[in-house]
Amino acid sequence: MAGTTEALAIPRAVPAAPPRARLSVLRRHRRAIGDAATLVLVLVVLFPFLWLLQMSIRPNDDIFGYDLAFTPTLEHYGVLWRGTFAGSFVNSVVISLSSTALALLFGTPAAYALSRGGFRRRRGIALWILATRMAPPIAFTIPFFLAYRWIGLQDTQIGLIIVYLTFNLALVIWMMQGFFEGVPRALEEAAWIDGCGVWQTFLRVSLPLSAPGLAATAVLCFILSWNDFFFALVLTRTNASTAPVAIVNFIQYTGWEWGRIAAAATLVMLPVVVFSMLVRNYLVKGLTAGGTKE
Amino acid sequence: MDGKAATRRGVLQAGAAAATAPAWLLAGKAPAYAQAAKPFAGTTLNISCWASPYARFIGEYLPEFTEATGIRVTYDTPGFPIYNQRADLELSTKGSAYDVLNITFIFTSRWIGAGWFTPLDEFLNDRNRTPADWDFADFLEGSVRPMKDRQGRIYGAPWVADVLCGGSGRFDVLRQQGLGMPDTFAELERAMAAIHMKDDIPAFIVENHYGWVFIPFLQGFGGNVFRNPPDDLFPTLDSAEAVEAAEFLAKLLRQYGPPQAIGYNVDQTTLAFRTGRVNYQVNNHAFLVPASEPGSRVRGTANFSLIPAGPKGRFPGIASHAWGIPVGSRRKPAAWEFIKWSLSKELMNRMVNEKGYAAVTRASILNAPGFRERTMVNGFDMTQLYIDTLALAAQGHMRYRTVHVYPQANAQITQALERIISGQMGARESLRQAQQNTIQDLRRAGIRF
Amino acid sequence: MLGLAPALIVLAAITIAPAGYLFLTSLTPLNLTMPGTAWDFSGPHYNYLDLWEDERFLRSAWFQAHLSVATVALQLLGGLGAALLLNRDTPIRRFGRSALLVPMVLPPIAVGILWRVMYTVDISPFHRFMAWIGLPVPPLTTDPDFALWAIVLVDSWEWFPFTMLLVLAALQMIPESPIEAARIDGANGWQMFRYVLFPYIAPTLVVCALFRLIDSIKAFPLIYVLTSGGPGDATTVTNYYAFVQAFNFSLWGYASAIATLMVATIFVISWIIDRLGGNSDGRHD
Repeated sequence: MAGTTEALAIPRAVPAAPPRARLSVLRRHRRAIGDAATLVLVLVVLFPFLWLLQMSIRPNDDIFGYDLAFTPTLEHYGVLWRGTFAGSFVNSVVISLSSTALALLFGTPAAYALSRGGFRRRRGIALWILATRMAPPIAFTIPFFLAYRWIGLQDTQIGLIIVYLTFNLALVIWMMQGFFEGVPRALEEAAWIDGCGVWQTFLRVSLPLSAPGLAATAVLCFILSWNDFFFALVLTRTNASTAPVAIVNFIQYTGWEWGRIAAAATLVMLPVVVFSMLVRNYLVKGLTAGGTKE
Repeated sequence: MDGKAATRRGVLQAGAAAATAPAWLLAGKAPAYAQAAKPFAGTTLNISCWASPYARFIGEYLPEFTEATGIRVTYDTPGFPIYNQRADLELSTKGSAYDVLNITFIFTSRWIGAGWFTPLDEFLNDRNRTPADWDFADFLEGSVRPMKDRQGRIYGAPWVADVLCGGSGRFDVLRQQGLGMPDTFAELERAMAAIHMKDDIPAFIVENHYGWVFIPFLQGFGGNVFRNPPDDLFPTLDSAEAVEAAEFLAKLLRQYGPPQAIGYNVDQTTLAFRTGRVNYQVNNHAFLVPASEPGSRVRGTANFSLIPAGPKGRFPGIASHAWGIPVGSRRKPAAWEFIKWSLSKELMNRMVNEKGYAAVTRASILNAPGFRERTMVNGFDMTQLYIDTLALAAQGHMRYRTVHVYPQANAQITQALERIISGQMGARESLRQAQQNTIQDLRRAGIRF
Repeated sequence: MLGLAPALIVLAAITIAPAGYLFLTSLTPLNLTMPGTAWDFSGPHYNYLDLWEDERFLRSAWFQAHLSVATVALQLLGGLGAALLLNRDTPIRRFGRSALLVPMVLPPIAVGILWRVMYTVDISPFHRFMAWIGLPVPPLTTDPDFALWAIVLVDSWEWFPFTMLLVLAALQMIPESPIEAARIDGANGWQMFRYVLFPYIAPTLVVCALFRLIDSIKAFPLIYVLTSGGPGDATTVTNYYAFVQAFNFSLWGYASAIATLMVATIFVISWIIDRLGGNSDGRHD
């Protein structure tokens, strides 16, 4: 925490004309020190991540080498793509997208109704949503596993899509409700005067105005589904297994093919890293769904 | 109901296949004229087995199977504990995710007893599906026995009889010290002390599946897992003999083993053997034989022996594993085609010749002229070692392993030994805990004492 | 309202129904290898009584407490420190604010793999570096004294950005005037933090702690990939123990009882969060 005092001594907005010149010199130094500390911190924290990225393009005979001057290769990715990993990756995409779409389909109207409804009911539902966010996955996997044996949803994409709704639907209701709150009532009232019904207003006015929020919510749902390991581990075997489960299979193969493991992990990591940067500002809201008041 | 219809359809298809099947089985590859009739073409089988050398070789031959039958195979070989956990879970759902699964030795009683596998008799006895010269009677009796239920129905076709042996990758180091292969526990300890870190290599390792490799030590000191299996299943994990055995094995690993010794699973011990990174180990015959493969660094220095004997006798681990068809499979006739192919005399022979595979389950191959010569490792007769070890099965010391609650005991033994070897707990305390836990688990599994 | 009904019905079907099923199962000795155990309510309290005599369960709860307290404390410290460092608008720190989010958004299984590389002695750049400078570090994940700490470290690494993000948001909400006043009074860095900033971010830290406390109870992928609950049972926390009982030993009734107990614990914590969230009224949003 090298930069702690530095950050404290200076408020966010540096005054344009500092009163004391000497202090200003020191401040400028402190700024540089703080920046340097930031860079060091980023490097240290991201080191394991960066290390795996470079392993994924390092040739097999030098997979654990340190030398940065190596000839990158895509052979690990090639091997992956020809194997069964491709199928798992596609499963991951299909299942995450479908679950996100379903959650939006059911959740958005509900959120709208909630944001235009009474306060009392909202509190109860908020608590419920918080509870689903908090409940340990094991509490869901046991009943789902036992139930899926009977109805034949074991190892199917649909089975996993339904399970992912347990957290996605709650998230959509929570997030979208907040965004609908932000839509000015005046605009909706104008639509009513023009003869739109409640749901037409919803479709033509409120929803388009909340489009950025909708996109952020969708991305968050996608990330949550994509990152799941536990449900997929328990509820799939071969047909519907997702990419995170496929990676674990590699780990347990003879020979520890680190190049392949690194490449597979990279493929699983990159989409979420990119997407999460897009919705950076909504991450907090999504991760604390139900726990904080809008 | 769906399943029944599918089976009936399968029977018809299988009947149609019968005429051509023997031809390609003998030839190994589909003759040109058979190309037209592939009754299962387009079928995809899901097959899984734990990662053993045989499973790896099968993976390498699979394209030939697909070419010959048109059956595509999704093939999956996770490590031993993961495989067992997954297979157990999948079988318990009676689901259709897998068409062929390995019947793991310690689960034979549990899986077969619960009715989770398909009896193979209808396939074995049907001459249209299985030609007479495929010859099931050829399989070693000892390896088939655990795969039968009380009525004598057969559920698995064994692909391996696994036996524990002693192996030294760098026997030259032992010889420099004027030592031979250790034949008793006392000799083993002396030898390990003498060779530890000679030439910079640690002396001793065993895989961390202690529920398998610890038992020869336990029994060698006169202990056992249960009081009198299979009739009296009261665990005896906290006996004085067990404590002695655990302390013995822990000492070998702690004093003469590599760092992170309890992190060595069977893949890593096998690799350590082939690369000469650890000198001596007790390991499965099938995992020691690859020391003769190209790429092995111990081809010229390896030596082998029966597992060392304890004060109370010599009790090598002996287990067989078999292919079986889960009851939930929707492609049973095609699954049988795979089993038939993978265990045919022809393919097993080729594995022996092309891959140096030695842990075969067919008597005709074991006794064939030239077999011994082909499975020599550095001049050592691995086949004789295999036969001698198998002969020790007559002592009946493996009965503890085929009771349906052994998996629970196995988990407790493995954990108890981990605690002891890592220094987390003393042997007495750790085994006492294992004893209590096992009693609790067996009670929960419905055993009354 | 019409829009609400479908979603609530679906949500009820996939959350309340399973919860009820879980509870009912916890009252039976369900074991899939033994037919007839499915709806056997002859001793509904047996599983719960068993729990208090099960040394392994009690040990797992102890490991769980250890893991949770340690990782929450580390995350709060790390997140707070990072937030204070980054609480200034320079291009590099803006970059830092984004880059440091990476651990938190990675799939947990990928986090497990990254650290598996770091913890495997013969291939880890960290271990090799330490050996090279003459301070070899013993293998951590197979040592009973370190294994749980190894998990704590990774979990804290993964989740300190969460605290960082929330604290940064809270810091942005602090008005200028008290900071100015303190500076004019000649407050030093520590005093500024302790008496001016800290009171503003304390509620946020409490919410962070509770959220992370709950999530730490669910720790699974890291343990699954890094230690499988070992060595011995040194990293078998309650969640993992329940998983093993159900999915390895087919003791579904017993595992359901453990899960039910976990749900109850978590609900108590959630309820506290709900109260606190109401009081601090969106400051951390």
